Amino acid sequence: MHGVEGGMTEMFHVFYRRLLGFLPNFFTALILLLVGIALAKILRLVFLRFFKAVNVDRFWDRAGIREVLVRGGIKRPLSVELSRTIYWFTVLIFVVIALNALQIPVIEAVLSRFFLYLPNVFLALLILFAGYVLCNFFARAVLIGLVNSGVQEAGIIARVVRFAVFVFAVTMALEQLDIGKVSVLIAFTIMFGGVVLAFAIAFGLGGQHYVKTYLERRMEKSEREDEQNIDHM
Amino acid sequence: MQTVALREEVRRKIEEIGRADIVVGIPSYNNAGTIGHVVRAVQAGLAKYFPDARSVIINSDGGSTDGTTDMVSTTTIDDLRTILVSNRSEPVFYTITTPYHGIPGKGSAFRTIIEIADALEASACAVVDADLRSITPEWIELLVKPALEDFDYVVPLYRRHKYDGTITNSIVYPLTRALYGKQVRQPIGGDFGFSRRMAKFYLSKDVWDSDVARYGIDIWMTTTAIANGFRICQAFLGAKIHDPKDPGTDLSSMLYQVVGATFGLMETYQDTWKSITGSEKIFTFGFPYDVGLEQVLVNVRGMIDRFRLGARELADLWRMFLGEEIVSFLGGLTAAREEDFRLPDDVWSEIVYRFAIAAHREIINKEHLLKSLTPLYMGRTASFVMETAESGLPEVEEKIGDLCRTFERKKAFLLEAWDASAEQGGFLPP
Repeated sequence: MHGVEGGMTEMFHVFYRRLLGFLPNFFTALILLLVGIALAKILRLVFLRFFKAVNVDRFWDRAGIREVLVRGGIKRPLSVELSRTIYWFTVLIFVVIALNALQIPVIEAVLSRFFLYLPNVFLALLILFAGYVLCNFFARAVLIGLVNSGVQEAGIIARVVRFAVFVFAVTMALEQLDIGKVSVLIAFTIMFGGVVLAFAIAFGLGGQHYVKTYLERRMEKSEREDEQNIDHM
Repeated sequence: MQTVALREEVRRKIEEIGRADIVVGIPSYNNAGTIGHVVRAVQAGLAKYFPDARSVIINSDGGSTDGTTDMVSTTTIDDLRTILVSNRSEPVFYTITTPYHGIPGKGSAFRTIIEIADALEASACAVVDADLRSITPEWIELLVKPALEDFDYVVPLYRRHKYDGTITNSIVYPLTRALYGKQVRQPIGGDFGFSRRMAKFYLSKDVWDSDVARYGIDIWMTTTAIANGFRICQAFLGAKIHDPKDPGTDLSSMLYQVVGATFGLMETYQDTWKSITGSEKIFTFGFPYDVGLEQVLVNVRGMIDRFRLGARELADLWRMFLGEEIVSFLGGLTAAREEDFRLPDDVWSEIVYRFAIAAHREIINKEHLLKSLTPLYMGRTASFVMETAESGLPEVEEKIGDLCRTFERKKAFLLEAWDASAEQGGFLPP
């Protein structure tokens, strides 16, 4: 009985000593976290004022990014979004520093792996964002151009363009994340090549008659539309 | 004041001429087929109406490869006595032919002409298009004389077919009139006269490396003259017949250029147009007469089809700045029969104003915005053709006048939304 008691006491002693050894690290981490949050808040305010001063929201609107994000549910101006990003980035940095200050080997190992992978995640997100903006931009340009040319299938073609550009961006992002690097690329190549081949076969063989009739109809229509000499200017 | 680098031979020619009273400029690009007639008409006009003046004809060319510049250099009227009845003196014309420098476009060609006119200290200057088939010597008198006397800027007033100049009739004229309060019927006519004071003012503006140099020079010159309080008049020139435009010129690109330039000037002169209400007539020179006009073929069904396609595919885009009410109306219009197809003045004027506000707020890419106007413009043109199918020119003018008055009446909406945009920064109200 005494042996068990002695063991228990010894265990608590060890725990207590370790706790005493750990507490300074814990409080250091806590202080670092609080300082980080305070600093992040200050930085958010400073950058918000700076972004507003350099009129970054105007660029947001002009580049058409605002419109794309509004559609995706993000309604705040770029200045607010950027300053919020800076806030969370600062908090994240201080969380990592605080976790390091705890000096726990397992956490340190996970953090080092996480930090090595983080740039890939960041780049992949950037690629996805750029892809999303670009696919909408190109799709709209194609849509307006085809509508103004009188192409009835303008909507479908624009959707295909949007999908193709976004799939391309997703492929690039996955490649950046090292996820199925080769297989994704091969899948994309096969899919893209397959679509082109399918169109070629459809137009060349299967839909020969349809395409002929379609093109003839379009040519006739185009000629009919040219049968006007109105001077718009 | 920034100046263009004139070629050495042009500088020598300017030194040789010394100074001039009148300069007539002809910007050109591959116009060998028509420029001879234009040069002869200019020479006859100068000889007939300004026999004692020192006159210089300047051809500012954009790199023609069809012998346009040779045509200008060699064209003369063999026997002026066949043209001149009262004044049989043989006036001397100086001719300068030079390629222009800078960004390719009519604006750069004009800049070179105005620079040379300024160097020659010309009292008045006129510019006429090189593709004109209907120009007569009287055009030179009508464009130059007011600029020599009481006016700084002379705009042309042509007799045109009721279906010609639809961008002018449905957008540029009503908008310019409502914004700046002057009833300038052909703000982008292409042939103008201006005084030395006006020429100096144009050269002092730092726009020659912008889109003004490429296109939009016509609306820029007119708006600059009106908005800066220069004395402005119009001259009745009769029919305007010119070479058919390049069929490759895309309508949506034309709209983008002209409407984009007009909207751009709204930014520049917002302090001016905001305080103006209503409009007033401007003095008109010349004797108005009816002319036989070439037949204009219009494919109304094709236009309505383009409108329907646009309404089907672009409704989501339009909803961002046209609002739900107008987009619903346009959706309903797609079901209308051809003979009942009408896009009324009040809806059209609000559409144009909402596009202007969307461009002002930079809601979407400017090129996308303005090119998405094309199907609506097609619809409006089809509606106008249907409404005026049985109308003569006076009735059509009255109809265009009604549209202008609607633009003037609805200007309050433009003002309200324009000013609100600065604080709101968001999309247009529904």
